[in-house]
Amino acid sequence: MAEVFFYALSALAVLFALGVVLAKSPMMSVLNLLGSFFCLSVIYLLAGFQFMAAAQILVYAGAILVLFLFVIMLLNLGDISAHSTGFLGALRSTGAKIGVAVAVAIGLALLISVNLGMLGLKPAESLPDGIDGMTGIATELFGRYALPFEAVSVLLLATMVAVVVLAKRQRPGTDARKS
Amino acid sequence: MADQLWLWAIPALPLAGSLIAGLLYLLGIERRAAPAHGAHDAHGQHSAHGDSAAHAAAHAAGHAAAHAAGHAPSHDDHHDHASTPNKGSAKLAALVACGVMAGALALAIKGFFALRALPEGSERVLESTPWHWIAVTGFQVDISMVLDPLSSALCLVICGVGFLIHVYSTGYMKGDPGYAKFFAYLNLFVFAMLMLVLSSSLLGLFIGWEGVGLCSYLLIGFWYAKGWPAEAAQKAFVMNRIGDASFLVGSFMLVKLFGTLDLSDIVNSIGAMVRSGEHTTELMVAALLLFGGCCGKSAQFPLFTWLPDAMAGPTPVSALIHAATMVTAGIYLVVRLNPLFAASEIVLFVIGVVGALTALIGASTALVQRDIKKVLAYSTVSQLGYMFLALGSGAFAAAIFHLITHAFFKGLLFLGAGSVIHGMHHEQDMHKMGGLRKQMPRTFLTFLCGAGALSGLPLLSGFFSKDEILAHTFASGGAYRVLWAVGLLTAAITAFYTWRMVALTFFGEGRYDKKHVHPQESPAAMTVPLMVLAVLSVVGGALGLPVVFGVAHALNTWLEPVIAPGRDLILARHGGEAHHLSHAVEWALLGLGSAIALFFAHRGFHAYKAGIERDEGLARKRPGMFGFLGEAWGIDNAYTQRIVQPIKLIAFVTYVVIDQFVIDGAVNGTAALARTTGGGLRVLTDGRVRTYGIWIGGGAALVVFFWIWS
Amino acid sequence: MQVPSEHLLILAAVLFAIGVLGFLVRRNVIVVLMCVELMLNAANLTFLAASRQHSIPGEPNLVGPVFAIFVIAIAAAEAAVGLALVIALFRLRQTTESDAMQEMEG
Repeated sequence: MAEVFFYALSALAVLFALGVVLAKSPMMSVLNLLGSFFCLSVIYLLAGFQFMAAAQILVYAGAILVLFLFVIMLLNLGDISAHSTGFLGALRSTGAKIGVAVAVAIGLALLISVNLGMLGLKPAESLPDGIDGMTGIATELFGRYALPFEAVSVLLLATMVAVVVLAKRQRPGTDARKS
Repeated sequence: MADQLWLWAIPALPLAGSLIAGLLYLLGIERRAAPAHGAHDAHGQHSAHGDSAAHAAAHAAGHAAAHAAGHAPSHDDHHDHASTPNKGSAKLAALVACGVMAGALALAIKGFFALRALPEGSERVLESTPWHWIAVTGFQVDISMVLDPLSSALCLVICGVGFLIHVYSTGYMKGDPGYAKFFAYLNLFVFAMLMLVLSSSLLGLFIGWEGVGLCSYLLIGFWYAKGWPAEAAQKAFVMNRIGDASFLVGSFMLVKLFGTLDLSDIVNSIGAMVRSGEHTTELMVAALLLFGGCCGKSAQFPLFTWLPDAMAGPTPVSALIHAATMVTAGIYLVVRLNPLFAASEIVLFVIGVVGALTALIGASTALVQRDIKKVLAYSTVSQLGYMFLALGSGAFAAAIFHLITHAFFKGLLFLGAGSVIHGMHHEQDMHKMGGLRKQMPRTFLTFLCGAGALSGLPLLSGFFSKDEILAHTFASGGAYRVLWAVGLLTAAITAFYTWRMVALTFFGEGRYDKKHVHPQESPAAMTVPLMVLAVLSVVGGALGLPVVFGVAHALNTWLEPVIAPGRDLILARHGGEAHHLSHAVEWALLGLGSAIALFFAHRGFHAYKAGIERDEGLARKRPGMFGFLGEAWGIDNAYTQRIVQPIKLIAFVTYVVIDQFVIDGAVNGTAALARTTGGGLRVLTDGRVRTYGIWIGGGAALVVFFWIWS
Repeated sequence: MQVPSEHLLILAAVLFAIGVLGFLVRRNVIVVLMCVELMLNAANLTFLAASRQHSIPGEPNLVGPVFAIFVIAIAAAEAAVGLALVIALFRLRQTTESDAMQEMEG
């Protein structure tokens, strides 16, 4: 049963992902991305990662995608398709065609490397209690990975400052490039 | 013994004087530069800035005089500046310079008496070691001063003659725009020279050695704007550098041999080393290398060609540096390290041969010179050769004796020549002088004293010192007899050219342009030092009267502790017996010397008393020999053709082939390569994010494919 | 779930390739940023697959989830800065097309 779910959700995630790339309107891209993240979240759950599934929904879907939506709405891009070149429109340029080739090449490279069994993976044993218990994650984050964890918090702070500076409205008369 | 810190004041005084004079010179420049924009402005500014009225008036007066002098026709370029507006600071600089020299002289005299108060012998030494300079395991160099009989004697000469020449310079350099600068350099030179003779280590000696070389360079090129003094200065510097390189290598060998640079330590350890028979070759090589340094500094064959060119400097410089003091540094060094040189017969003989050869070359070249300073320059080369001849025959005290008397009479002759040149408005060609004894009586009389001493007329100072050298050379026997003969020949030539010079300058008809040139006696600032030096030149011989006169040789006794180690080594080689001439032989030598001096002085004087016809006749009849002698046996030309020009050629080829082609080619090629590559690659960066993404993604794909296949 | 970890990796590879496709083809900067998020998710999935592969009952391997959390945090930061840049770009050029910025042309 779980296996069927997995393959179905995988197909759905891929479809949603294609939707992100192909949609003409940025708004549709966001919604497709949301769908893809949901599918991935359930796949995490199936694979035994309860905490990661929750984080996926809360952080990605709940925070990051809302940020995207917010920006799209702020700039009023939702229905102005003139501002946006769709996938097929963009594909007319030679650069985009090379881009397709490169993307296919990367995909092939990854698939070949997985399928050649270079990593030598076997079906995993069943882990009924899941893998990422809260206690274990917390122990790791505040134990072995305390320093990277703190570094990430500093990074987020710096990001916050940077975003405020970047997005601040320029007062008339000041040079935009200076801020 | 207590540390004699006051010894440091001897060199420190001239150093301080140099700094003060230098500062005054710089101040003078600024002040001169300010009113150069316009006399009216300057006057106004000075009043506005609240300068004293007298000051402003002095400026204005100076300007008026400068304008007048500028319009008046004058043959003398440096009298054009007769009224530069920095008179006050220049006068102060001269005063300070002479003052510190007087102070240094007083201290040198004090040192002499303090030394004399000590008991005779090797402990007759005053020293001061305020701190260690370099101290590493097994090697130590102190900042240290030593006053022993030798350095005391030289100190007295340097400070005494130096003081007189400073006083003389106040008159001679009057009106020169670089008046204060001149005194700054001159004081700096005295400082370096005193460091040279007072330092207790070879390293300190070397600092002084280089310092005097630097000052010599600065002062030869003092009138660098004329062009040729700058070239002469460079030549002197480079020739000295050749000798200094040799000196340095010699010092390194001494460090290697003795593990110390302390002069007295070296002197004390040489005796044992010689007796042990070890390191004989190394000692010999070190001595020869150090002697190479002496050849450069003391203008000996084959490095003497810089000294005649050095006459491009002001005449007091020629007197102080290139006659009395700096050029005798080589003699000082040999006497200071006398056992090192005395340890090997070969070294002594080489020194003697070089000395005799230089004496002959110098004297014979002086015979045909027309420039009065060139005569004196070649004469100096020749007399330094005498001193080295003395050193070569082991007569260290005699060398110092001649050094001292030479400082007196040659300093006198140079200053006298300077006085003549001054009076003749900077004419140096003796063919354009003549009959000056009436116009310049004081200069003439003092010059006579100097000439008499130089030519070795009986009972004057040069007579005794020269005779002592010749007697020692004669007494050394063997091959030294040949050197003695050369020395005697040189003495004859010396007497001849000296009196030729006197006759051409002071006797006969005036050959100058009588409408424009009016020779006149120099001011008292110049003639008084001449008189003092004349007295010293006459009586200086009393320092070392010959043994046959029945009185003690004062200088020998005084220098005994210094020269004893070297003399003992020589004596030991000869089985403990000194060469003693019988009284009859000594008298005979004295008589021979007197006779030769008198005869050839008479010949020289009479040949040229009437005029220059003899020179012209000689140039007509024997042009080859005349030219050969005139160019110092063609040595300078040989250097130019065989050494300087090939080096210039090599330098040019190196410049074109290696520098311009190889190095510049490589540098420009690298730049061109980078520019071409960049020009080609800039197509790839079109500024689009997606293009960059394609490069990154394509690269990543390639890397993964590479992993798959490998 | 008895799915082999290889299948998770295949899914991650496909998602990543789609992300690259969008990144290289689309011109709208916002969509490009979303494609970057897609690629980051694919990377997360790889981390988790590896963690799952190396876990045994009673002894879970937590390196994968921990790094996935770091990736999420950095993705958040990246999205925030990227979107701020989009806003700045829009103010300057009234567009979100990436081809509007070409000043760094060599």
